Amino acid sequence: MNIKFVPGDSGMRRWFFQRITGIFLVVLLLVHFTIMHFIGTGETTYQTVASRLASPLWKTFDLAFLVFALYHGLAGLWVVVDDYVHKDGWRIFIYSLIVLGGALLLALGALTIITFSPQMLTTVKM
Amino acid sequence: MKVTFKIQRFIPENDTKPSFKEYVVEAQPNTTILDCLNDIRWHYDETLSFRRSCGHAICGSCAMNINGKNGLACQTHVQDLKSGAITVKPLPSFPIIKDLVVDLDKFYEKFNKIKPYLINDGPVPEKERLQSPEQQKLIEESTTCILCAACTSSCPSFWADDDYLGPSALLKAYRYIFDTRDTSAEERLSVVNDKHGVFRCHTIFNCNEACPKDINITNHIAKLKTALVTTKL
Repeated sequence: MNIKFVPGDSGMRRWFFQRITGIFLVVLLLVHFTIMHFIGTGETTYQTVASRLASPLWKTFDLAFLVFALYHGLAGLWVVVDDYVHKDGWRIFIYSLIVLGGALLLALGALTIITFSPQMLTTVKM
Repeated sequence: MKVTFKIQRFIPENDTKPSFKEYVVEAQPNTTILDCLNDIRWHYDETLSFRRSCGHAICGSCAMNINGKNGLACQTHVQDLKSGAITVKPLPSFPIIKDLVVDLDKFYEKFNKIKPYLINDGPVPEKERLQSPEQQKLIEESTTCILCAACTSSCPSFWADDDYLGPSALLKAYRYIFDTRDTSAEERLSVVNDKHGVFRCHTIFNCNEACPKDINITNHIAKLKTALVTTKL
């Protein structure tokens, strides 16, 4: 059989987890919009965001958001490459970009969320 | 009334690329496009080539692209189309052999890949293999496919990857995988769980739009995806 595409999986896992992350994203986004636009003080300042991000619960929420959104979006990009990029070299190149870019964004995002503490607020003020 | 046809012509011996030729024929509102094409071939231009056989929407030979939509020429009437010239093209994305005749070899190859016949190594019963009405209902809609290729030719995933199995072959896979008399579901599921298989479908619904038998093909493909995820993940 003529093997035209490089990584040879059927895409079943990507298809399934893109749907799962999609459902989670809808839930997380609804919570996000409700808090930001309906329950919140109405003003988005560094203070309000910082105090919220200090709680472990919100850190978990934002981490989940980060992981699900990254997976969902990059899986979509991967599928676009599956469909439209037929040259092996280009496919490997773009797949690598997706993996490396995803890892970088995950690391940066996680670092920001996990290490954030309200003390940073005072540091900024000084 | 006079009806103008713009028909895509391509004669490989003479042409380097397809071009359109206009014909004006006399037709009634309920005349089929196939009858108009016959009229053109029999009375105006005998060099025009197209496939046709039964003329009653059951053989699937005359599928073509009429005013931008895939369908059967024998099932489309002049009155179904907007007034003005009627544009007729061969099924998109297949190699053209001549005029409206396309090369379906690869289409049938994919069809054969999913083993479109009953596989059951159990003892052969004296009479037919029985099914309950509920079991028959599972596959009833999928058995009405006439293999005209209108769906596969309308599918953007197929346009992007001509190795993609396509809605037609996937529908036929469904027809046997969900047939309670068949014992080879596992094997067929492996065939559709390929990089050119069922997960190249992105639920675009073009196949449903194109199907002259009004089969909800997208829904059948979705059930294949569910079957794979629940058994193989």
